[in-house]
Amino acid sequence: MNKKSKILVEDVSKEFGSDKSQVQALKNINLVVSEGEFVSIVGPSGCGKSTLLYMLGGFVPPSSGRLLADGQPIVAPGIDRGIVFQEYALFPWLTVFDNIAYGLEMTGMPAAKREKAVEHYVSLIGLKGFERRYPRELSGGMKQRVALARTFAYGPSILLLDEPFGALDSLTRETMQDELQRLWRTTGKTIVMVTHDVGEAVYLSNRVCVMSQRPGRIIEEFSIDLDRSGAREDVVLSDAYTAIHNAVWVSVRRQVTHAPGIAP
Amino acid sequence: MGLRPPAGDARTGDCALTARAIRQRTLRHLSRAVPFILFIVLWQGVSAANLVNPDFLPSAVAVGTALVRLVGAHEIFDNLGTTVFTCFVGLGLGVLIGVPLGACMATSPRIDGFFSPLIKATYSLPKTALVPLLMLWFGIGGATNITVVVLAALLPLIVYTYHGVHGVPRVLVWSALAMGTPQRNLIWRIFLPAALQEIMIGLRIAMGFSFVVGISAEMIASNHGIGKLMFIYGESGAYDYMFAATISLLVVAYCADRGLVHLTNYYLRWQDSAQRND
Repeated sequence: MNKKSKILVEDVSKEFGSDKSQVQALKNINLVVSEGEFVSIVGPSGCGKSTLLYMLGGFVPPSSGRLLADGQPIVAPGIDRGIVFQEYALFPWLTVFDNIAYGLEMTGMPAAKREKAVEHYVSLIGLKGFERRYPRELSGGMKQRVALARTFAYGPSILLLDEPFGALDSLTRETMQDELQRLWRTTGKTIVMVTHDVGEAVYLSNRVCVMSQRPGRIIEEFSIDLDRSGAREDVVLSDAYTAIHNAVWVSVRRQVTHAPGIAP
Repeated sequence: MGLRPPAGDARTGDCALTARAIRQRTLRHLSRAVPFILFIVLWQGVSAANLVNPDFLPSAVAVGTALVRLVGAHEIFDNLGTTVFTCFVGLGLGVLIGVPLGACMATSPRIDGFFSPLIKATYSLPKTALVPLLMLWFGIGGATNITVVVLAALLPLIVYTYHGVHGVPRVLVWSALAMGTPQRNLIWRIFLPAALQEIMIGLRIAMGFSFVVGISAEMIASNHGIGKLMFIYGESGAYDYMFAATISLLVVAYCADRGLVHLTNYYLRWQDSAQRND
């Protein structure tokens, strides 16, 4: 790998529950993410892909193995790693402005500077005029824009995305994917995204990791090398996209149909 | 999920609409008085028809006259003041103890493990039963009654705060931690605002308890207060005055409750209006 590795996951396993009714969620996960890379993790539901993301966030400790970010062991949440959840997780008692300002306030940025930074991100996500609204007054797509802006605003170098567009309708989802890609290109952040949408993973990522049924293991990796300079339709309708999409889809599909009880 | 209409629409709409909205609201408020008026008319009717012995149930007019005299004599305000002071200081202390305690119990299994059995074992105890004992420690009225009110207000505040904080979605807590919120600030920045709706419900119930227990404590042992006044009038058979004293307190308690509801709706204005209190 020519670029420096940003995230390192070594032999990580995770068990849940007590001794008697233990469930192995993840088994011997190994993953290296380079700086500036966009890696997606896809797999059947319940395979533990979100658990892996929560461990990277420092919210859930691994049962064994270790996780590193910038060479430092991950033991707790840190402002070097931002996270965006499917359910937005905006603070409902704060306005759009205050939600985006929250992380900046925590870094100790003075109020005047904070205001400028928030205004910048508000216009970047196209929500000018909505600064004083509360999250309940926003549509799902707008909420997720605020969630993205709030995370980008305080400047974590790693972005963890937990099925970020899973709750959105398909048209909004596509718009949001393009916005995320634009933000990623302009900021050069390292992104790990968990999704069950193969198209989304292939469209956005440099690399797609396919996970198995529980206990989750990474069973296949696909490098995605698409020409993304054109418009969305140019990418999605290209033969290269179709080929890699189908390959990933078959790989995921195999995991789903191998599920106990659903097998043909 | 479509975009909701902006919240300010009703206010920025054309004037005719706004005027109609105000008229409708006024009508709605007035309609609340209808049951009271009917009740008083029925009461007076029963008394006027001599269906009950006026010695046992004074007529509505007699009670009204007594109320006017009490208010004219100003004596009632001193007693109301004592009762309101007892109830609100007790409620305030209850909030200062109950809300942090409930929040700590919800976030720390150790604190929960210590206090939970104590609360479960004592919640059915009638708090006023402690008045004779507390009197030995704190004397008659004053601190004794406040203590009893605190104890009564604590339970709903602890329970509702506990449930509110317990129900805070973990993604909110995780987001806050990821954005660099220190662990010790979580309670102020996340748990309490997120649980505010439940805490306010607990506060409303606790306020009701405060008045009930405050009055009861005054009736058991006190030198001042509406409870004492009710007790004296009741003992001497002046039921019209007893009812008048009761009504004066009901008015105060009702106003306090309405005030709290307005306060709650203001602080929870970020919530879906469907979840607001009435």
